[in-house]
Amino acid sequence: MASSKSVDKKGPAVGSDAVRPRYYFDHAASAPRRDEVAEAMAPWQHGVVGNPSGSHRAAREARRAIEEARDEVASFVGVQPGGVIFTGGGTESCDLAIVGVTNHHRRHHESSSIVVSRVEHHAVLDAARMMARDFASVRLRYVEVDSDGVVDLESLHEALTPDTAIVSVMTANNETGVRQPLDAVSSITNAAIPGGTVLHTDAVAAAPWLHLPTVTATMDMISICAHKIGGPVSSGALILRNPVELDAVVPGGGQERGLRGGTVDAAAAVGLAAAVRATRQELTEVCDRVIDFQNKLCSALVFLPGVEITALGASRLPGTVHVTFKDLASDELLFLLDQEGVFASAAASCSSGAAEPSHVLAAMGVDPERARGSLRVSMGAETTEAEVDALIAILSSVVYRLRAEA
Amino acid sequence: MKVLVAMSGGVDSSVAAGLLMEDGHEVVGATLKLWGGASDSGCCSVADVDDARRVAQMLGIDHHIFNYTEEFERHVVAPFVAGHAAGRTPNPCIECNRHIKFALLFERAKRLGFDAVATGHHAQVVSRDDTHLLARGADDQKDQSYVLGYLTEAELSLLLLPIGAMTKDEVRGHAERLGLRTWNKPDSQDVCFIEASKGREVFLRQRLTVTPATIVDRSTGDVLGTVDAAQLVTVGQRRGVVPGRDGEKRYVAKVDLAASRVEVGRLDEVMVSALALDASSITFSHQRLEGGTEVFAQWSAHGRPQRATLQSSPSWSLTLGAPARPVAPGQTVVFYRVDEPAIVQGAAIVASA
Repeated sequence: MASSKSVDKKGPAVGSDAVRPRYYFDHAASAPRRDEVAEAMAPWQHGVVGNPSGSHRAAREARRAIEEARDEVASFVGVQPGGVIFTGGGTESCDLAIVGVTNHHRRHHESSSIVVSRVEHHAVLDAARMMARDFASVRLRYVEVDSDGVVDLESLHEALTPDTAIVSVMTANNETGVRQPLDAVSSITNAAIPGGTVLHTDAVAAAPWLHLPTVTATMDMISICAHKIGGPVSSGALILRNPVELDAVVPGGGQERGLRGGTVDAAAAVGLAAAVRATRQELTEVCDRVIDFQNKLCSALVFLPGVEITALGASRLPGTVHVTFKDLASDELLFLLDQEGVFASAAASCSSGAAEPSHVLAAMGVDPERARGSLRVSMGAETTEAEVDALIAILSSVVYRLRAEA
Repeated sequence: MKVLVAMSGGVDSSVAAGLLMEDGHEVVGATLKLWGGASDSGCCSVADVDDARRVAQMLGIDHHIFNYTEEFERHVVAPFVAGHAAGRTPNPCIECNRHIKFALLFERAKRLGFDAVATGHHAQVVSRDDTHLLARGADDQKDQSYVLGYLTEAELSLLLLPIGAMTKDEVRGHAERLGLRTWNKPDSQDVCFIEASKGREVFLRQRLTVTPATIVDRSTGDVLGTVDAAQLVTVGQRRGVVPGRDGEKRYVAKVDLAASRVEVGRLDEVMVSALALDASSITFSHQRLEGGTEVFAQWSAHGRPQRATLQSSPSWSLTLGAPARPVAPGQTVVFYRVDEPAIVQGAAIVASA
């Protein structure tokens, strides 16, 4: 929908986008590209861009830009620069963590277990399922969550076995914004497994909101991506806080300490660095502002008929408000919101673009009928109070309209 | 008018959307995601959704994907499986039209503020004296009025069928003129949730418990053999049936699941002169038909209409003008007017004889 500007229009235009106001409430899907990101990337997107593995001046210039970007990303997460592996995005980072660590483990052990929470992003779930499917020595164990979607620490304890290769629990959930108790996950794991195991956290959804050096301090590996914080898509990093043994998933060329082959994209790395720099600088101020918006939104939405705010009592990211509407369908809510220029999401979608039943809500024990009426509105640094007011007015009218027609 | 076009990704619905735009309507495309499982054909694969979305982009219209996977499972797939388990052979495309496209989608379109819903079916809506009649498509080879036979005034008054008055060649001509990438895409023939490479049997065997049966020659009483899955045998079929002792072909006349018995006979022995109808399934498009009404009846998607007389007592049935191959219970029969053979009058499901 956002790409309609690039579509060749024929025939009569149906309500020109130029006159239709747009209210962007889908930051959690992809945040608006920051101006400073585009400016930082520009020199690396035209003309001679040296291959950073080369030895001449142009190569050295590209290499320098990448290493400066690495320093920036390392300080965003609070690790040594050598721990940053640039990847092609959040999914690839998670895949490298799960597949890379498990492959290394299973080559050295008779059996390997992967422990993940039920509410992980498909990047983690599908990688873990693939390993369990393809290798008889690999087992996948799930950690259950409570009705707010927070990992059940008893369940974690039960899932841990001495052959655990990796434990992966996300920093905060992409659909609901619910935060996970990573410090507790770490201490329980370390107590249960002598010598410990590898702890990975998918911090993609949390990156715009949380101070990662503190929040992920007990994690060995952290996955982030650029486009959730105003950077380019297809750019991310797997960050190693502590030394971890893992295999490459994309071998070839020896780049990124042999863990991710292929020429490093200077523009992508520089774009990620510019995005983390801007995010870090304005973190406190943006959080303070958006928490107010979140409170305002929740206070208004709670009066809509049939609404339930998801995980209202849990610790959540400031930017996300997830709600379910009894007897309404996400498809219809999103259609009418789109018509009014409000861009939101049902949070779970499949490759075709259709809204899917959410595995996150299912794990929380949300009634499937209610889950069909899911809506996620997500905000970011650019969100204004006027937009929040418009959202409240438009969403209310859409909900009342659908209720009247039903 | 504000029109919601159901776009399958095929050429017919693509052209339907394009023509409505050219007529100046406010057009929005929607593709229904119906089947969550494996699929290599029909109208719900990711490739078809991609085609529909790309066509909408080329036309410059908004496109949405509506997920009806659960409803499709409940209203179409589960009854399809249950029907076979009970010895019936339902038509899933008709059930999908009835319960999904022309029920849930129509209701949704109304809620979302649309004035009409359009599809790319080869059939026509004729308005006459303030009522709307369903008529056969102009392309006799492609006519799809049969799969829309259950529609009544409530749906027909909101339905647009922009390509119903055209031949398939004309539709492809429009697609080429409009620059639509689907202009030469082959027609889908298959049931969308059944992989063409595996077939109906493989699908049903995964979903229901099959039981064996004895194949008995109807006239001689000879036991000709056994089948391992009586639920997958369809009345009227010849494929897979062994010949009789006389060496002649045999056709399935009756499947008796309770007795684990499949009755077969020579074609002249199995021909039927009447079809029992399930009274609760009978739907009249416009006017209720009385017993004794002469109709043209069609009982398969690619069949030809045959002269028949509707009977209402002792129970609803159809007396055929000429004997016909037996029709499996669960199949739909659509009635057309005798004086105006293009006009649909109603539909019903064939009951067990």
